[in-house]
Amino acid sequence: MSSDRIESTAAEWLAREDRGLSPQEALALAQWLEESTLHRVGYLRLKAVWQRADRLSALKAPPGRAGRFPRGILRPAVWMAVAASLLLTMAGGTWLLLRRPAQVFATSVGKTEAVRLADGSRMELNTDTKVRADVTAARRIVTLDSGEVYFDVVHDDTRPFTVYAGNRRITDLGTKFAVYRAGDDVRVTVHEGRVRVDMLGRPALDTPVVAEAGHMVVTKGGETLLLNKPAEDIARDLSWRQGLLVFNQQTLAEVADQFNRYNSRKIQVEGSARKIRIGGSFRADNIDVFVLLLNRGFGLTVKDQGETILVSR
Amino acid sequence: MPGRMAEKAVDDWFMQDVLPLEPMLTRFLQRNWRNAAEIGDLRQETYARVYEAARRERPLQVKPFLFQTARNLMIDRLRRQNVVSLESMADFDWLNISDDQPSSEATVAARQELRVLQAALDALPARCRQIVVLRKVEGLSQKEVATHMGIAVDTVENQVAKGMRLLAQAMSGRRGAVATEARRFNALRKSRDVQ
Repeated sequence: MSSDRIESTAAEWLAREDRGLSPQEALALAQWLEESTLHRVGYLRLKAVWQRADRLSALKAPPGRAGRFPRGILRPAVWMAVAASLLLTMAGGTWLLLRRPAQVFATSVGKTEAVRLADGSRMELNTDTKVRADVTAARRIVTLDSGEVYFDVVHDDTRPFTVYAGNRRITDLGTKFAVYRAGDDVRVTVHEGRVRVDMLGRPALDTPVVAEAGHMVVTKGGETLLLNKPAEDIARDLSWRQGLLVFNQQTLAEVADQFNRYNSRKIQVEGSARKIRIGGSFRADNIDVFVLLLNRGFGLTVKDQGETILVSR
Repeated sequence: MPGRMAEKAVDDWFMQDVLPLEPMLTRFLQRNWRNAAEIGDLRQETYARVYEAARRERPLQVKPFLFQTARNLMIDRLRRQNVVSLESMADFDWLNISDDQPSSEATVAARQELRVLQAALDALPARCRQIVVLRKVEGLSQKEVATHMGIAVDTVENQVAKGMRLLAQAMSGRRGAVATEARRFNALRKSRDVQ
């Protein structure tokens, strides 16, 4: 057996061990290890690495330092948890609710949805979004697969609220914030309080960025940009929560991209019309009125082709 | 069973005293062996010889013993291949063993250890990385990872096996080893799927 083959078999055994071995499997493993010292050293080598990897737990989000509520006073989160557990107990055995494993929430194009989590935190899902929330008595972990979510987090010093998006991790430090993910590009908009944004790998690049209200963090690959935004820009970026798209002198091409996030019918802008600057506030789902205004206000030609609406000079 | 006790003691010794020398051993083999594809085999064979020797009698000094074993193994192989010449023997870097500063590597500071792990973690493919993060950073069980990601436990198990090998490779002291190893792993997977 080549070292490669032995190594992959050893890895399979260790992965099974990591999951939990049945008595039969334990016996089979013992036999495999007895067969050859090559098996044993291959196994021990990977076992040592997997044990060393336990050190990665040092990267676990440390408790936040929000300190909005002085020590000694029960924080609202605790009251809420107490009230919730009382309610649940009264409901009879539904304690399981608090131990519920990951839940998946998703919206289709043009839809938004508000969700309250077991810890009292809220999530508002924007259009075309998929998110997994794992909120138990022991942890609060959310993974954003795609789209955009606005978080209103009930802060808990003992249980950090952690959002994974692409290769980034966003940790709540007592706050309201939105995370948008398109592939591996991530954008974090902080509405209130503070969040920490970091990467788990790349020791050289992983200086965490702490963003406060009015900040926007934009990442691409290993690069992280921290922007200071006027309050109106932040409000504009979060206007989707009211079902609105708000623009301030953005190009028609950018505006069309925004509308297209919310509608299955797509606006396609051609030629010099792409550079026209647009301002104003529009209902995200009211694409017909928007193109009508383009026609009346700018005299643009609008051709409705069913799935696509062509806009040109 | 006394035999099993002894075995456990040898296992512990091997993991704590021998395996931390791996980056050094790998570089030593690379310096002295032309065919890079055989380094993994040589390393494993060296480990097996060291382990078996230790089962009979624990060597007093680990590092010289490990390198002596690797050296003897390479000589054996060259003899078997019938290509050994004085020139190639002279090329060998045998005498440099003690020049390497092993103490710093054997006792890597906790901080540096974490950096090594982080770098290895970063080089993992995205999905594999997320699974290792949830398992090792967040401390979820394989089953919990599966539920969180909405994938089968078997998939998590496969990715854990893959992650383990890639981490081991990344930490064994070869530069750019992870990407190579990922390609090799995928190629191996494919060839096995075809069969």
